[in-house]
Amino acid sequence: MRLTFDADVEAFRAEFAAFLEANLPEEAEAAERSRSTGHVPGWARRWQRSQFDAGWLLPGNPPEYGGRNATVLQQYVHVEELSRRRICRSYNPQGVGIIAASLLSFGTEEQKLRWAVPILRAEITAALGMSEPGAGSDLASLRTRAEPKGDHFLVNGQKVWTSGAHDADVLLTFVRTDPDAPKHRGISVLLIPTDGPGVTRRPFASYTGPEDKDFNEVFFENVRVPAGNLVGPLNEGWRVANGSLGHERTLMWLGEAERLDAVMRDFTPATALDKDWYATLVMDLQALRLLGSAALARAARGEQDVPALSVLKVFGSEAAQRALERALEASGPDGLVHPAATAPYHHMSFDDDSASWFNRFARSFGGTIAGGTSEIQRTIIAERVLGLPRR
Amino acid sequence: MLFEFDAEQRLWQDTVQKAVAKECPPTLVRAVVDAGTDPAPLWRVYGDLGWTELTDPADAVELSIVLEELGRATDPTPYLATLTQFAPLAEGLGEPGGSGTAVFSGITAQQADGGWVLEGTAPHVLDGDRADRLAVVTEEGVFVVSAADVTVVRTPVFDPVLHVAEVSFDQVRVTDRDRSAADPERARDIALMGLALTMVGACRRALDLVLDHVRTRHQFGAPIGSFQAVQHKAADMHVAVERARALAYYAALTIAADDPRRRLAAAMAKAAAGECQALVFRNAVQLFGAMGHTWENDLQFAIKRAKAGELMLGGAAEHRALIADLTAEESRATHV
Ligand SMILES: Cc1cc2nc3c(=O)[nH]c(=O)nc-3n(C[C@H](O)[C@H](O)[C@H](O)COP(=O)(O)OP(=O)(O)OC[C@H]3O[C@@H](n4cnc5c(N)ncnc54)[C@H](O)[C@@H]3O)c2cc1C
Repeated sequence: MRLTFDADVEAFRAEFAAFLEANLPEEAEAAERSRSTGHVPGWARRWQRSQFDAGWLLPGNPPEYGGRNATVLQQYVHVEELSRRRICRSYNPQGVGIIAASLLSFGTEEQKLRWAVPILRAEITAALGMSEPGAGSDLASLRTRAEPKGDHFLVNGQKVWTSGAHDADVLLTFVRTDPDAPKHRGISVLLIPTDGPGVTRRPFASYTGPEDKDFNEVFFENVRVPAGNLVGPLNEGWRVANGSLGHERTLMWLGEAERLDAVMRDFTPATALDKDWYATLVMDLQALRLLGSAALARAARGEQDVPALSVLKVFGSEAAQRALERALEASGPDGLVHPAATAPYHHMSFDDDSASWFNRFARSFGGTIAGGTSEIQRTIIAERVLGLPRR
Repeated sequence: MLFEFDAEQRLWQDTVQKAVAKECPPTLVRAVVDAGTDPAPLWRVYGDLGWTELTDPADAVELSIVLEELGRATDPTPYLATLTQFAPLAEGLGEPGGSGTAVFSGITAQQADGGWVLEGTAPHVLDGDRADRLAVVTEEGVFVVSAADVTVVRTPVFDPVLHVAEVSFDQVRVTDRDRSAADPERARDIALMGLALTMVGACRRALDLVLDHVRTRHQFGAPIGSFQAVQHKAADMHVAVERARALAYYAALTIAADDPRRRLAAAMAKAAAGECQALVFRNAVQLFGAMGHTWENDLQFAIKRAKAGELMLGGAAEHRALIADLTAEESRATHV
């Protein structure tokens, strides 16, 4: 355990800080906002590309994948510096954090070059097609059908909630390739370009406002997908799904830490009651970072401990939600004004695009629902961390 | 920061766990409570194991590993008071092998004849009835006195393993030689860390007992641990323990390094341990059903130890108030 870092790690931090100093987009340059998690404005593409080229996008990766083979402690201070400055490294977070990461774990060399690298370089964006109208928490019951037809798959079915799909170039899509096998054994994963015939995307608004269109329904009608777009072995998509969910939960707890950090800085407690929950928030953030640092270290060593990530996910998302609820309720009538910036705006920060306390609170349910709900996380903790019997 | 035990710390934890399992098993604790068995031999074992020498704040993490395990075991010795309350105040004025405790408030010191006279009564002193020496915090400084110089009356408390006493000072004369140069604020942070780790250990024990119980108890033809309402309570206990444990060791790290975040970290550790014990107590008793209500069930030792910790040196709410003030101060300081 350590509180401070050796000189080499601090030198790494200083080097990254110097990079940010020299390369961070100015507020005026960053005027065009991202309209969805699949849309990366030109300036943000250049920003992501500059991080990739300099090996700062994902420092733990080798240089060909946007990194510099950084150690776990170096990766940790990298995250610290981004979070401290409220800097979003990619406006297609699921593309970089989940889809490219899954391709680097499960994809072929060709898939890494053809899809992962362009996603990391912000040349294309990607969305995650897991959920369906009939398959939410019970992801393994998904029914989108992909029939293997030799050199291609024929895909028919529907996804929903697919964040940013209408602006994305490719979907990492979980499909059923063997309808006769037990439900976890007949799933495969396909990369489906969104511009091909038979793919229809219909974005729809979230409850925060009619202009907030990130959700999509995606329909597949006789879509031909080249056999080379199969990620991982046929019918072993559940393993890929678990890997992807691990990446997703890592991405999510890091996001929750940033959210908690932002509330801590944006809110000034005045009354004794406010101080009481504010202190809980300070403790939650510190504990999340401590527990998260250990999870990052395990991941850097290649130890797959997906169930343990459920602790971070449920704890972080519920802590952020609680803090945002309190901050909103403490804002009084000022908090009514919509879409007033009742909380500060930061041009490099993703969540603060619409910075009202109401919007921040309302969006916090993404944290407790997406990527496996809090209830599902608790069941995972009980059964796979604590070893309680399954029903 | 990196919150992971290194290889040496893992080895130490393993050594400590094995020693505690052997030397301080649940049967011994039960015998201390129900048969009046004297825990003094166990105290000597801790000395032989070298655990009573962990008084250098630089060893705070190693000490914490011992404290957590002793919290799990509901340690019946004066280890907690000696190592985390007395030693940090006495700074070398103790005797090897001796036990000690701290009197943090309630005693006055008056200058007289080139020395001081201590006067007053302090209630609720941890191990006040059996500590060999007492470190007393007064406005004139910290003094170390022998148990023979004070009057003690043990107070009956709900935790049947815990010793708490009222300590009276009646014209107790001390000199410069009895005066310690210790920083009482730092000592208090160590004491908070000690209680926090004890509580975390006790909460882990309560959770372990609950997990065993819900795996084996059947109702409606199934182990009750397969019912989701039960599972989710257990999961919440685990998350609360992980959170409190992380903050307790974070406090230990700041103490070991004498880091400026020490005071905040110690308050967070105590507050988080307090929040954790509230949830763990509630869920543990609930999930045991009526079995949790019995004297015979060892669960009582763990949850009483955890609850007793909450009632000493300030509870969670008090520490949260401090955390908010310290954080506000800090953010003012960093934003100028
Ligand atoms: C902001 C946001 C973004 C999203 N982005 C994407 C995306 O990009 N791609 C994608 O594929 N999906 C995405 N999702 C979908 C998300 O993965 C699902 O919403 C989630 O898996 C839950 O499924 P559901 O909404 O169908 O809820 P349901 O499964 O219907 O659950 C409803 C309620 O029932 C509870 N419940 C269900 N089953 C159980 C059980 N076994 N035990 C106890 N309680 C249970 C749940 O916890 C929840 O409270 C997104 C969701 C949100 C909110």
